[in-house]
Formats: sequence, C-alpha cells, structure tokens
Amino acid sequence: MTLLRGENLCKTYPNGTQALSQINFSVEEGEFLVVIGLSGSGKSTLLRCINQLHPINSGAIHFEQQRLDQLHGRALRQQRSRIGMIFQQFNLIPRKSVLTNVLAGALASTPIWKSLLGLYSKKQQQQALAYLRIVGLEHKAYVRADNLSGGQQQRVAIARALMQNPKILLADEPVASLDPSTSHSVMKYLQKINRELGVTVICNLHFLSLVRTYASRVLALKDGKIVYQGAPEDIDEQWFKTIYGEEAVEVSIN
Amino acid sequence: MDNTMSTEQQLAQTMPVKRYQASIKAWCIDVLLWSYSFLVLYKLGYQSWWLDLRHIDFSWSEPLYSLLLGGLIASVLSYTKASVGKACYGLIAFEEGRSLFRAASVRLGLLFLLLTFIAGLQVSQVSMREFFSDSGLAGAQRIFTALLNPNFAILEEALFAAVETVYMAFIATALAIPVAFVLAFFAARNLMKHSALSFAIYAVLRFLMNLTRSIEPLVWAIIFSVWVGIGPFSGMLALFLHSVASLTKLYSEQIEAIQDGPVEAMTATGAHPIQIIWYGVVPQIVLPYLSYTIYRWDINVRMATVIGLVGGGGIGTMLMQYQGLARWNDVGMLVIVIAAIVWLMDYASAKIRAHLK
Repeated sequence: MTLLRGENLCKTYPNGTQALSQINFSVEEGEFLVVIGLSGSGKSTLLRCINQLHPINSGAIHFEQQRLDQLHGRALRQQRSRIGMIFQQFNLIPRKSVLTNVLAGALASTPIWKSLLGLYSKKQQQQALAYLRIVGLEHKAYVRADNLSGGQQQRVAIARALMQNPKILLADEPVASLDPSTSHSVMKYLQKINRELGVTVICNLHFLSLVRTYASRVLALKDGKIVYQGAPEDIDEQWFKTIYGEEAVEVSIN
Repeated sequence: MDNTMSTEQQLAQTMPVKRYQASIKAWCIDVLLWSYSFLVLYKLGYQSWWLDLRHIDFSWSEPLYSLLLGGLIASVLSYTKASVGKACYGLIAFEEGRSLFRAASVRLGLLFLLLTFIAGLQVSQVSMREFFSDSGLAGAQRIFTALLNPNFAILEEALFAAVETVYMAFIATALAIPVAFVLAFFAARNLMKHSALSFAIYAVLRFLMNLTRSIEPLVWAIIFSVWVGIGPFSGMLALFLHSVASLTKLYSEQIEAIQDGPVEAMTATGAHPIQIIWYGVVPQIVLPYLSYTIYRWDINVRMATVIGLVGGGGIGTMLMQYQGLARWNDVGMLVIVIAAIVWLMDYASAKIRAHLK
C-alpha cells in the first residue's frame, strides 16, 4: 500500500537556489527507503518538504488520504505528529534530561498548559521509558541529554520520534556526525524499528556500503532531480559515477 | 547552464549601478565634511578668534552658505583622489607598498579630525589657567579635606537611605523581568520574520524600545516625579521603564543567537508554537537571561544613586540635599557609603555571573 506520494515537487529557496525540480516518488508501507546524493543535491530539502518544515512551491504531497502541502495550523500539526524525524545534529533540547527529551515527542498529544508545567501522564512516562529501553538507554533516563555521546544522543532522538507513534520516520543523515562503529549501531536501531515496529523509514545517507546493508530501495538525487530509483544491489560502477560524478571513488565503511 | 548565464548577466548589469550609488554616497560624505569644516572655520576661526566676539549668534544663512561652498568643493574633488568619501567606499585604489599617510584622502581625513579636536578644546572651554588658579586650588583643598573627614554621625541615616536605594533598584528589576521576558519574543527577528504582520510588530516594538532606551533614566525620573510625586516611587518607575527596554533588547538578542536545531525538531513533532518556544527556545536562553538580569540589577543600583539627585529618593536625594547646604563632611560620608554599595553589588554580581557561565 502506498503510504506517501510526491508529485512534481518543486522547491526554490528565497535566495534563488532551486533545490528540487519535478520530483516524483512514492513510498510503500514498511519500506526502508534510502535517499543518496552529493551534498547540496536536495536530499535534506526533500525530507523537510515532506513534513512541511519547508513549504513546497508547487506539486503535491499525499500522505495516506491527506494533501500535506494544503494543511495549515492544527491539521498540519496533527499530521506532523505522525511523521517522526531525526537529524544529523540530533537536535536534542540542551540542559534537559533524556526522559524530558523523549517526552517532548508527545507534545502534539498533550494539552499546552500541561506540557508547559511538565505534567505528563503516568502512561506517557511509562511509554517514554519503554522506548528508551528499545534504544538501550533506559539507565540514562535522568541524565542530562547534552552529557551523552553522539551515538547515544541520536538514539535518544530515535526514542523521541517513536514517542510520536509515527507511521513514517524521516532520518536526515542520521550518522553523518558519528564514527563508523557508532554509525552501524544507530543504523541497526533504525532497522529494528523498521522491521519490528513496522515504521516506514526514509533515510538520507552518504555511504554506499551502509546503503547496501540497510536499504530496501534506493532513490538517488542529483542537482534536485531524481537520477536513479531501484534496488540497492543494482547500483553498479556506472550508476555510481552518474550519481557522484566521474571523479568519485567508492569508499566503504565497516 | 541557463541559470549561471543569467546570474552573470545580472551581475554585469548591477555592478555599474552599485558603483554609481557608492559615488553618490561618497559625494554626500564629502559635502558634509567640507561644509562642516567651513562652518567650524567661520565660527571659530573668524568670529571667535579674529573678531574675538564674546557672544556668538547663530543664523541659518551660515550653514546654508557652508553647504553650498562644501558642495562646490566636493564636486570638484570628486574627480580627483582627494576624497574621503570615495576612500570610505573603496572607490580609490591605494597603491601597495606606499604609506597610507601619503594618500591625499587619508591626509584630508586627518585634517578634518584635527579641526574637530581644536574646535572641541575651544567649545569645552578647556583652560589650564583656571585649573591651576589660586582660588581654584583653595576650593579643591577645602572640598577634599571635608570629603576625607566624613561625618560619621549621619552613618545610620545614610545606611537607611542606601537600603531604600537597593530595594528600589531590586523592585525595578524584578518588575521588569516578566515584562521584558514576554516582549523579547516579539522583538526577536528569527521568530518574527515569517509573516508581514509579525514583522511589523517586531519593527514597532524595536523602535519603541530603542526610543525608551535612548532617553536617560534621569530624564524619566524627572517625568515620573511630576507624575507620581518626588520620592522612591518615581525613581523606581524610571528604572523599571529603562530596564524593560534594555532587558528586552538583551533577551531578544539572546533569542536570535539560539541554535535552530531544537526548534526545528520541536516543529517536526507537531508541537504548538507555544510549546516550540517553551521546549525549543527557553532552555537555550535561561542561563544568559539570569546573567543579564543580575547585571541589570547591579546597573540599577548604580543608576538609583544618581536618580536620587533629581528627587528619585534614596541616598541620591540625601546627597543632593547636603550638597545644597554645602555640608561637605556629610557629603563625604554619603560618597563613601555609595562607593561601598556599588563596589559590593559589582563584586557580588560578577561572582554570581562567573558561576552561571
């Protein structure tokens, strides 16, 4: 079943940069779709256009039965809460505990006055601890989030996204600021929630070796256009050079 | 390919326009500098020194003639390298390896500076003769002797007034915090730039705050002493208003300096804008806010002593009264108490702020 569909997406930034032009893609439920491409090819913009962090200029984004690009205010927040997102820089709230950070994932379903006072229900707190257990960080629940290592912070961010009870998880270069072994650990957690919790994942990545290990399907962008769609094992030397340029040499990450 | 072509063409078209604009601005600077110099030379050189006039009148025709003359010279010089304005806008290429002081524009600039310095000495009536005159030195000796022999009999009274000053400053700061806290969000560019309406609110608020801040607390104290009567309340109101304006500016600058990441993450969870601010913005600004606020209290105590001079209550008012009666020994005591409070506040606020970092 098609969960998410983008039609003729175009995005031009106010400074004149055309980040996306005529993008068409669809995502099936349960997929682990990986988006690859050089820096500046429009990967991050594509993810941010899906949940409307950046509004698109033209085209349409269908998420289940909704047109996301036409939603505003409350309705948009409602749909955003069903799309989790993690970032290259983790983007946790500094000076707050890990548990508070995970609970922030439930903001959309908490009355404003309660969230301002930090009054989360017993059920929400138990849920947060359960998600921390999934990413193996239950023992760090009351530690300040900015005292954790990079890999741990990203796992907290995953738990925060899970707290939204999402249909889709958008991951914007989740391992680009991590070392190789931590990268694999974070990717394994993403794989776990994809396979065990049935969350569809759309993930931006740099390294082809990671792509081959984790992706169920690949979409390659170049200069804001889709240049390749298909299975990860079908990316050969020729495709690699099309996507990354003639000069590129593949490096692997183990 | 099309894109790069068109941007290059655009650049080629805008370059002469930019150069043209810069030359006009450079000319304006030159006109201002030259007409200013003529006016100063006429007033100071001709009227004050040559004619030795005691009382110098002002008429509008003088600046007008200076402006005409300045415009003429600036127009002529705009074809040469001797133009300060052109140097400011980078329209003159300085030769490499050659001393900057040999460039005509730099020499001219220094000349303008020298003229201003001489005019400044004249206008401030700087006079070594008066500074070292016999009567002057006797007066200095009298006041310093009295100040150095403070009257300890009024210590109790002075301390009581000082307490009033510190409380006044504290209440002004405490009441300013919540107001500035709310206003700061509306005065932060990064939060308000997204729609025309919010940007208009931002611009108006910024303007009002700048206006309030540019009027000294001393003046506000005078205004409020007419409004609510002479006493600590008028002084408190003056400090409150000034603190709101200053803290709003400092707070909003802090909001503008936050990292966007947490804000973006909170937005992506589907949080309400109020929740985004509370979870994405506030945790990043709490410590700098505390630091600024304590610093502000420190400043307010210092200002409160001065505000007392115009009837704002506290130790300043006491100082003014004794100074009016020429009771210099009492004034000496008050000066010591004021210095002690200011030093204490300064020390405490620096210590606390160092721990907050």
